[in-house]
Amino acid sequence: MSTTGTGKSAAALKHQVVSRQEWLAARKALLAKEKKLTHDRDAVAAERRALPWVKVDKSYVFDSSTGKQTLADLFDGRSQLIIYHFMFGPDWNEGCPSCSFNMDHTDPALVHLAQRDVSFAAVSRAPISKIEPFKKRMGWRFPWVSSHGNDFNYDYRVSFTAEEMDEGKVEYNFDMVEFPSSEAPGISVFYKDASGNIFHTYSAYARGTENTVNTYNYLDYAPKGRDEDHLPFTMAWVRHHDRYTDGVLADADKPYWPSFDSPAR
Amino acid sequence: MSTAATPRPRIVSQEEWLAARRQLLVKEKKFTRERDALAAERRALPWVKVEKDYVFDTPSGKKALADLFEGRSQLLVYHLMFASDWEAACLGCSFVSDHLDGAVHHLANRDVTLVAVSRAPIGKFAPFKQRMGWRFKWYSSFGTDFNRDFHVSFTKQEMAAGEMFYNYKMQNHPMEEGHGLSAFYKDAAAHVFHTYSTYGRGVESFINAYNLLDLAPKGRDEQDQMPMAWVRHHDKYDSDYFAGEPASASTASVAPASATQGCCAQRP
Repeated sequence: MSTTGTGKSAAALKHQVVSRQEWLAARKALLAKEKKLTHDRDAVAAERRALPWVKVDKSYVFDSSTGKQTLADLFDGRSQLIIYHFMFGPDWNEGCPSCSFNMDHTDPALVHLAQRDVSFAAVSRAPISKIEPFKKRMGWRFPWVSSHGNDFNYDYRVSFTAEEMDEGKVEYNFDMVEFPSSEAPGISVFYKDASGNIFHTYSAYARGTENTVNTYNYLDYAPKGRDEDHLPFTMAWVRHHDRYTDGVLADADKPYWPSFDSPAR
Repeated sequence: MSTAATPRPRIVSQEEWLAARRQLLVKEKKFTRERDALAAERRALPWVKVEKDYVFDTPSGKKALADLFEGRSQLLVYHLMFASDWEAACLGCSFVSDHLDGAVHHLANRDVTLVAVSRAPIGKFAPFKQRMGWRFKWYSSFGTDFNRDFHVSFTKQEMAAGEMFYNYKMQNHPMEEGHGLSAFYKDAAAHVFHTYSTYGRGVESFINAYNLLDLAPKGRDEQDQMPMAWVRHHDKYDSDYFAGEPASASTASVAPASATQGCCAQRP
């Protein structure tokens, strides 16, 4: 089946069809489980907030469209900062498609987050001169800075050195794992107190970043779901939002995805 | 801005933090898998054939429910609360709707068409849609049974009695409109089936602002207030998030007073 273009070609579903009354009974039984999961989610979020913090003692300076910015500057006057670790290596021509997929859902949230004392920025290791045109192409407005030349990406375990890659396994998602790329996705969260001290409160990687992919949140309610079981890896169908028709990947030779045969070109 | 007390957690070494974080990761992974399993159970629900002909008002004329699929086999309808005499959508629904556009294009490439439907005539909400800058397809079910049949609009009698069927139980919903999401499937013979509906907090995962707040030190920070009591239409906060953009002239909401209550903010 086609994974790009109109998205209209797909195998037909066969399914049990029942009366409204029978459906309601089944639906009510599922609702009880859904409510439990919602409350479980609340509980996990509470445990997240109960984690201890680590003081950030290193000074990180980023390149932005308006010049140098420190980690403290990225808080933009608020006390909480969420960083999205956007995979964009210094020698890449565009940001990773999956990170782009995630970030397509970000801008509308930011004005609301600001009301809750939260600022947001994306950080990549690519130089700002590469980030800016790609950001413009994608039509995004969120702040996006470059950690090119500093330790930020390495310290927060989303970039790996050539030596680490040569070892075969890298420290990612709190484990030693094989990873195809020198860049990895993640979310890190920081708090700044009244004295200007900065604390690292939380980081998540891999599927830990999935909750903010709203397309998945909708697909989880659709008859076919994410419909990825037959694909070489999840998100194999994803393209930059302006590339669904032609499927072109500017960095098809870069292993930011697991290796698989013949991505759509 | 938040009024919560400053969080005062333990400050620990990197090693101690890692140990605590790894313990939490086990629970997070368990949650992710439970979420996957629940989505599978959702897909295993039986379907109900839609026998009634619903005809919606759209910017390009009348369209049947089957037409709303736009050639795809799956349709998601966001039941966006906008009653016939309102000038703006409810705040909670607007909060959800702010997050629709980012998903529509990707969903279209997964054989899913995502649209919004409201009970107000299309002329009532078209100016509001323009004000909000939303691009998703938004149709009117005015004059049809659609909102009634999917339990997101209530009659004057139900309102007077304080009893109506919402979120799969009889309850006293505070408003004549309710929010929700309904899913439909269309087969090759153009039969349409209702596969799923969710209400109340069931739509909460579409609110990316909440998805992000659930990672932040202060969380949603709503303990001392009704959930979403702080939410405004995105052009009515006292400053714009994006630098260089003109701040909104007014902080007042133009939603009817009743639209700030109840609506999308019910717990549990």
